[in-house]
This record gives sequence, C-alpha cells and structure tokens, in this order.
Amino acid sequence: MRRVFIWPAAAIGAAALVTFPYWTAEWESSRFATTVLRDILVFAIFALSLDLLVGRGGMPSLGHAAFFGAGAYAAGVATQRLGTDQLPLTLGAAALVAAALALLIGTLVVRSEGIFFLMLTLAFAQIVFAIAFQWTSVTGGSNGLAGIARPFLGGIDLNPPDRMYVLVSATFLAVVLLVRAVAGSPYGRVLVGIRENERRMRALGYDTARIRLSAFVLAGSIAGIAGALSAYSLRFVSAQDVGIGTSIRAFVMVLVGGAGTLAGPVIGAAVVLYVERILSSAVPVAETVLGLLFVAFVLLARQGIVGIGGAAWARMRR
Amino acid sequence: MGSDAPLIEVHELSRSFGGIRALDSVSFAVQSGERRAVIGPNGAGKTTLFNVLTGEIAPSGGSVRVAGDDITRLRPWQRARRGIARMYQRNELFAPLAARENVALAVSARAGPYRFVGTPSPAESAFADELLTRVGLAGREGVPARALSHGERRQLELAVALAQNPRVLLLDEPTAGMSPAETARITELIAGLDRTLTIVIVEHDMDVVFRLADRVSVLHEGRVIADGTAADVRGDTRVNEVYLGKVVVR
Repeated sequence: MRRVFIWPAAAIGAAALVTFPYWTAEWESSRFATTVLRDILVFAIFALSLDLLVGRGGMPSLGHAAFFGAGAYAAGVATQRLGTDQLPLTLGAAALVAAALALLIGTLVVRSEGIFFLMLTLAFAQIVFAIAFQWTSVTGGSNGLAGIARPFLGGIDLNPPDRMYVLVSATFLAVVLLVRAVAGSPYGRVLVGIRENERRMRALGYDTARIRLSAFVLAGSIAGIAGALSAYSLRFVSAQDVGIGTSIRAFVMVLVGGAGTLAGPVIGAAVVLYVERILSSAVPVAETVLGLLFVAFVLLARQGIVGIGGAAWARMRR
Repeated sequence: MGSDAPLIEVHELSRSFGGIRALDSVSFAVQSGERRAVIGPNGAGKTTLFNVLTGEIAPSGGSVRVAGDDITRLRPWQRARRGIARMYQRNELFAPLAARENVALAVSARAGPYRFVGTPSPAESAFADELLTRVGLAGREGVPARALSHGERRQLELAVALAQNPRVLLLDEPTAGMSPAETARITELIAGLDRTLTIVIVEHDMDVVFRLADRVSVLHEGRVIADGTAADVRGDTRVNEVYLGKVVVR
C-alpha cells in the first residue's frame, strides 16, 4: 500500500522544490533562502557526481573540482568570448569540456586504486589549478572571471534570481533521476562489482579499467554541469573553483551524507552549506565544527547521516 | 591449426619471483574435453601456473595457446571472453551482494557492461538461481556472500565460474577447507559436469584427483616431473618420492 504514495509524494515534493521562490515570496527571508537553497542544489549535483565514483565505483577522487572548475570556466568563457548566451550551448560546452578533461585525467588514473588513486587525482587537479591560475588571458588568473552573464533559454532570460533558481533546481532533479537510473541499471551493478572485487570482475571478462574510465567521464561531465550552474549563479568563476578546497568540500558532503546512496550527497551538501552560510554567522567556530563533524563521521559512522537514519528507522519499526 | 590441436598448449612457460623459479620451462597440452589434474607439494608452482594461464601474472618466458591462438599477451578479461573461467583457491566473491547477484554478474558479463537503462534482467537472475540450485545452494539465493558458510562460499565460487559458460574451467583446490561430506558433494558435482568442458584441477586430496582426472601432471619445484594417466602417475617412483609418499606418511 505504502508504495502507491511514493511517486505522487515525490512529484509534489519536486514541484514544491522547483517553485520554492514563488510560494515563499511573502516570507521576509525568501530571497536569502532561495539563494542558499540554490547553492545547496548546485553542490548537491556536484556531490552526486562525485558519489558515482566514491560510493558506487569505489574510486575515492580528491580532484573532482578539476571538472567542476572546467565546467565553470567553460560556461564563463563561452558566454564572454563566443558571443552566445543560449543555455544549451554554454551548458553543453561546459559538460563537453569537463568530459574531455575527465577523459584525459581518467586515462592516467583509472588503473590505480585506493590511496594512489586519491593522490593521483589530487595531483592532476592541482595541475589544472595551476593552469587556471596562470593562464590569465583565458581564465583571468587570480582575478577570475567576473560579471558572467546568465544565459537565455530560447527567448526566456534566466537573469532574474527566481528563474536562475528554477534552472538550478530543475537540473538538480534531472541529475537525481539520471544518477538513480544509472545506479539501478546493469551498469550500476557492474560498478558495485568493481568496487567490491575488481580482480574477480576482470576474471569474469569485464574490462574494468575502461568501465572505471567511463564512470570517471560520466561523473566529470555532471560535475562540469554543476560548475556551469555555479558560474551562472554567482556570476563569477575563480581558481578556487578548481582548487583542493572545492574537492574536499564535495568529499566531505559525500561522506557526511552517506556514500553510495541517492539522498546522502544531497543531505551532505545541505549540512555543509548550512554550517558555512548560516551557522558560521552565529557560531564563530562553525568551520571547526564542520571539521570535527567530518572526523567523527569517518571514525564512527562510515555510512553517513543516511546510514544513521536508516539504522534508527529499522530499530523503530522492529 | 586443425581441430586436432590441443585446447590448451603450454610451451616452456617460466616465471621467477626474485631468485625463486616458480615455473621452470613448463610444457604440457590438454585436449578438448579432457580433465587434467595438476598435483605437487606446496610451493611447486601450481597456483602460479593458474595465474599465468588466466593472465593475472605475466610469464618471464614461454607461451600459452588456447584452441591454437596465442593468448600469452592477452589481459585477464580478454582471456575470460575466450572462455577461460577460474574457481579461486581463496574465494574471490562480492561480499555484500546476494549469492544470486554474485552469479548474475558473471552471467551478465556476456551482455556487456554498458547498459545504462533498465534494471538487471530477470532472465539473468533466473539463470543464476538455476546454477545455485545445481551447486547445492537452493534456498540461499538471497543471502549475502559474506553471510555464507565456508563450504557454501566454495559452492558459490564454483557457480560463479560455471556462470561464465566457459570452455576451460580452472579449479584451484575446489575442496580446500571443506568437510568430508561437502568434499564428496562437490567432487560428484564436478564429475557430473558436461564432458565437453575442459577442466584443469589443482588439488591436494588424492581421492578427489583420482576420481576426477583423466590425466595427471606432477609439478615439483616449478618443473613437470611426470605427466600421464592417473595409473601411470601412481606407479611413478619419482612422484612417490616427492609427493605421494608424503601423503601416505601423513
């Protein structure tokens, strides 16, 4: 019986999410809340893409910001230099540039595992950071790219904050559905097989290096879309978007929320941005709290918030 | 190559680890449909031989041919696609996945990994359940591999290898760590497999070896010291000296 209500409830929830700025218009802090929610959703997309690697494929990347940043720069450069403000073109360019970079880096890292994978992805992301920081003519160097114009979708100007929010939240929902479908597909099960026992997967006839590369490229292109949405939202791209700080934030989101789940990265993004944007203005040591929280989850609750919630739910039903 | 060519042809295969020659110019041939046992004391190079046959370890010299094709340079997954399956000595399973899912991953390898839409096919699950019943795991299909007993995991290990629908089945000590009753069960199970399937089996239990094998190769310090029918090998004095004699003493 209960299953019958899941889809209508999800549809209502999705509609409420996308129309958030409109039904909260009367609230005093509606604009602020919309902005925070928008940024949470941008990072939720980014964290969901990272979780394809960390949670599903067992590839702990500490360089995922390279693709986020590549997408952000690509979207910014596309609108500033290529003279196009059409969303499909700039967002498509962002996804393509990020995918191409992921193909390049992925080819070099997918044969390594565990801590070596972690260090290699970090090293390559640092190279991308150095390029972003020094290639001033394209990236603006340390100044970054400021004043990025928000795109058009056909004749619809996405510049108003409410519309920008709708773009982000609709893209977020699309990514959730995509990741859900991939995770539940035969391909998703193959990724889990590689995570659990790559040696056996090879012995079963799976070209595991290539499969891992395909996941790396898929995750990279979704991260690129998140980066482009960040560039549109903030109207600014800086080398920080490619930096290790951005990679670590996404990693923290995945682990705190719960790796290998659909809700985990989203909850993680909400927790991290809540601490950074809201708690930090009330509590002076909020960032330290975030660090301690992360350590606590790594040591005590590897399954993240979703894991804790699931265990509590199971106990209640018993 | 004609159809008379052996299915597996190992030619002067060598592999050293540091100063130790794990395989020292090993040559032998296995005919299609044959059941070959490889025996020898611990450290004789049996598992290294399997690792070289499946491509997990590169040989320092020599070649491996399957059905006339040189596969020495192929990667493990490419060899699996050519019909080589292996039952590992130490179970290599997908611990958190149900027994059914373990087998289904082997079944679905043929359909390819890049299926992004839809759910894993019910036909694959049904075939997996069939195989699990064959190896004696009926009723345990939904149990995660890590929750199975040691004997059950060995059975699952065999089901996964069989699910690949191989031409060549490499069995690395299939009865290791099993109770006598489980050993008898799995031995009869292997004995009852399709006679067109070529089997190479590494085993310490001589009852199992003589029950299953048409021919026996004896490895000692990385060399083949005897190669013949089960009866020949039993009568070989040198084999008795290095290996069988010790078993009797034990």
